Amino acid sequence: MPKVTVDGQEIEVPAGATVLQACELAGKEIPRFCYHERLSIAGNCRMCLVEVKPGPPKPQASCALPAADGQEIRTDTPMVKTAREGVMEFLLINHPLDCPICDQGGECDLQDQSVAYGRGGSRYGRENKRAVTEKNMGPLIKTIMTRCIHCTRCVRFSEEIAGVDEIGALYRGEDMQITTYLERAATHELSANVIDLCPVGALTSRPYAFEARPWELKKTLSIDVSDAVGANIRLDSRGREVMRALPRINDDVNEEWLSDKGRYMVDGLTRRRLDKVWIRKSGKLAEASWDQAFKAIAAAKPGKNIAAIAGDLVDCETMFAAKALLGAMGSTLLEGRQTGMDYDVSNMAAVAFNSTFAGIETADAILIVGSHVRWEAALVNARLRKAVKHGAKVFVVGPEWETTYPATFLGEDVGVLGKLPKDVSDAFKGAERPAIILGGAALAKGALAPALAFADKFGLVNDGWNGFNVLHMAASRMGGLMLGYAQAGGIADIAAAKPKVLLSLGADEVDYSAFDGVLKVYIGHHGDKGAHAADIILPAASYAEKDGTYVNTEGRVQYAEKAVFAPGDAREDWTILRALADALGVSVGFDSFADLQGAMFAAVPALGEEGLADLGALPKGDAKAKADGVITYPIKDFYLTNPIARASAVMQQCSAELLHGDDLAEAAE
Amino acid sequence: MSVLGKIFTWWDGATIGTLLNSWRTGEQVGTDAQGNRYFRARKTPAGTNERRWVLYAGANDASRVPPEWHGWLHGHFVDVPESLLPPAKIWEVEYTPNATGTLGAYRPQGALERGGRRAGASGDYESWTPDS
Amino acid sequence: MANRHTAPDTPELRARWGSFVFTEANIAKADKFIASYPEGRQKSAVMPLLDLAQRQVGEETDTQGWLPMPVIEYVAAYLDMPVIRVLEVATFYFMYNLVPVGKFHVQVCGTTPCMLRGSDELIAACKGRGMEKGKVSADGLWTLTEVECMGNCATAPMVQINDGNYEDLTVERLDAVLDALAAGGTPEEGTQEPGRHTSEPSGGPTTLKEMVTENHDYRGEW
Repeated sequence: MPKVTVDGQEIEVPAGATVLQACELAGKEIPRFCYHERLSIAGNCRMCLVEVKPGPPKPQASCALPAADGQEIRTDTPMVKTAREGVMEFLLINHPLDCPICDQGGECDLQDQSVAYGRGGSRYGRENKRAVTEKNMGPLIKTIMTRCIHCTRCVRFSEEIAGVDEIGALYRGEDMQITTYLERAATHELSANVIDLCPVGALTSRPYAFEARPWELKKTLSIDVSDAVGANIRLDSRGREVMRALPRINDDVNEEWLSDKGRYMVDGLTRRRLDKVWIRKSGKLAEASWDQAFKAIAAAKPGKNIAAIAGDLVDCETMFAAKALLGAMGSTLLEGRQTGMDYDVSNMAAVAFNSTFAGIETADAILIVGSHVRWEAALVNARLRKAVKHGAKVFVVGPEWETTYPATFLGEDVGVLGKLPKDVSDAFKGAERPAIILGGAALAKGALAPALAFADKFGLVNDGWNGFNVLHMAASRMGGLMLGYAQAGGIADIAAAKPKVLLSLGADEVDYSAFDGVLKVYIGHHGDKGAHAADIILPAASYAEKDGTYVNTEGRVQYAEKAVFAPGDAREDWTILRALADALGVSVGFDSFADLQGAMFAAVPALGEEGLADLGALPKGDAKAKADGVITYPIKDFYLTNPIARASAVMQQCSAELLHGDDLAEAAE
Repeated sequence: MSVLGKIFTWWDGATIGTLLNSWRTGEQVGTDAQGNRYFRARKTPAGTNERRWVLYAGANDASRVPPEWHGWLHGHFVDVPESLLPPAKIWEVEYTPNATGTLGAYRPQGALERGGRRAGASGDYESWTPDS
Repeated sequence: MANRHTAPDTPELRARWGSFVFTEANIAKADKFIASYPEGRQKSAVMPLLDLAQRQVGEETDTQGWLPMPVIEYVAAYLDMPVIRVLEVATFYFMYNLVPVGKFHVQVCGTTPCMLRGSDELIAACKGRGMEKGKVSADGLWTLTEVECMGNCATAPMVQINDGNYEDLTVERLDAVLDALAAGGTPEEGTQEPGRHTSEPSGGPTTLKEMVTENHDYRGEW
């Protein structure tokens, strides 16, 4: 623990800390461009210069200098001031002064720091500025490379975090240019994070180009629902429209990254919206009023023959409100696993990501069964890459996909779980923190029991470590399971119960052909498969348009806030269900959102506490359990996995250009 | 125009009083391409400028007076345009009255009246219909 | 410097160089380079391998050689590294030609010492012979490049042509060298000043003259 003095203030810093970190610990702000906490140190912008004694009598780049015992660091001397001014002047030699037309304006590090640490003017005014051609980086990243200050954060991000070497710095010196190889589009699932990383306006968001200024946006804390990771996001809205989604820092969940889908599907919130009530009359959907719809549902006289299926994007409150309604009617026909999975949910710990995302980084042997992690949870994939960098071995059961780290594929048949090759079992026997990650495709093949047996066999649970993980794909899944949205036989049980009325809470992946003759009431926000199959459509709110509780695949309870109002006649889901209860003549016991939440917390106390829910201990595995079958991943197209993304023009473009671009080119030839 | 119309309206052409006055005190000096008739007073009291006026053929809209007659009306020219001004050049376009307030008024590109479309604004959304 | 750019990635380029592989001899050399680094660090050999590839391209085209994109991709695959990382190296160093050059790549040093000793005249002379900066001359023999310091300041001005340095040049001496090269000869490399061997003082030593023939003790004279 070295002791250093920063501006006369003596502090102790952790071993291995840099001078910059020491200054931050002392509460001093150090300007920087290239340095980033989550990336390797480059030391090429020179903005973080400070004076350090002992050492050479010149300013030192604090980001790349280890803090050593007895160092005397000054950040407030004239030398440091002139050094910063000098560096800033150099950076601005070639930087265009186009802030008024730059999308980074208002949230630009260069802008802020030139105000705080720069000179009033430049001595290079008479020289021509360098101009650099724009580079193609795909449909998400817009480049104005003349603005680039060569910090190389984007290069380091794609190499280190994303694990896809796509972006590089060509040429040298003043001519250095950041580009992708042959200007191909950046294709990985985290590519748009370089936009946040770029300290200037060189890489900006293409779909958001010239849309809004940061200071005119209302910022709302929300949770990403595009996958089961539950990334913490901030929805920036103007008026009634969500303009963009940005990641928030949460080291336990998403660090400070966000998958491209979570970031860019928000434009789907303004397309294909359900904004009025529809009732099917003689085979054709016709516009109707709320009253007519409620009367039509009441006329079906469901009694206790009413069922509910929850979609992938709904919040816990909606599911609880539906559960309360069904409970009042005397029904427990609830299901959330839309594709018909029927794994055992008697123990919640057996269906959660117990290692936690931060914990999986420390695993040293990981077996992935039936999960295309890159597509099902791109942020978890970044964690796995970190684990591999720390020396973890990764094995995958399932069809091959392009990993961003060395991994061994063990075949496509889930049966391999019972008879692992020797090198795999040796790796797990020797591992201190072994882990298994079970994907949805594996659960569908009944791999849960064999996986639990695997956990027993290799001691996946030991003191302070639980290596048994299930990686879900739907944001609503864990919350749904906690609220009892599961039948022993899955959705087939619901169909077999032959309900009179089926409430579909934004369920768009269900095969509705099993519910012929049932009055299907779709309560959702997007006109997708569910709406086309429905008999009555009640327009509801999307995740951006209501407060809600979400539980991610770790069992982490998180709250999202309402950013904007739902369009047209659409209402928040719980109000619809509350009104429906009146129409059906039952009492659900809540009249306000606070009442509803109170009732929900009383019923499932774990939901009342933000953070990891205590899901109990893992059940004993049955050593004889077996599963077999060839794994097929459920996600066929990363960019189009939910109704919002399917409605989004940006996601459609990404799908067409990034995933099917080669097909298109071939078709053109 | 009916006689009653002549008696009770004033916005098309001259009223009866003006017609009578023009006939009594004025003499016609010419007409323009639109048929507007131009008059001047027969007698001009000493020390005053000559009175000149126009009787419109149609709506009483001052912008219907073409520039050459405008100059004559306002006393810029001593004589009538035909005898004073050079003949019109072939590249001169025909004079048109001010179209403001009429259907022929100029509309900038993008104006709704010209079939323009409103630019997208935040809060716009596209609603779903069963046919989509 | 600023006119440095990669050759456009055209179908013709792919057709010409898409099937590029090292010759047997070069594979042996390449593997020797790779072997000089620890296992798993084969990427460290990227610079010698790029040089090797450039030379092989040179042999095939009878020029100094250059690095077409498919060749860079081949080197990347050979070293199991991302192409962009190889491209970064290839574009960084001026020794790697990114566009085709002539049989003789005339690199005139224009840095201060050479400039003071007359490099401007050399460049003018080169241009007078039909060379153009960054372009291959009509007869396919010459490409002119102005480079920064090559470290031969003591024998300035100098020109590097392919692998040979020609120093102490005047316009006449340079003409002689270029004529000899054009005629297929191999002019002597190094200083072109008669009587000078390497970078020793021109016209004999000016200090420590007594030391030329024998060991002399200067201490008494201090």
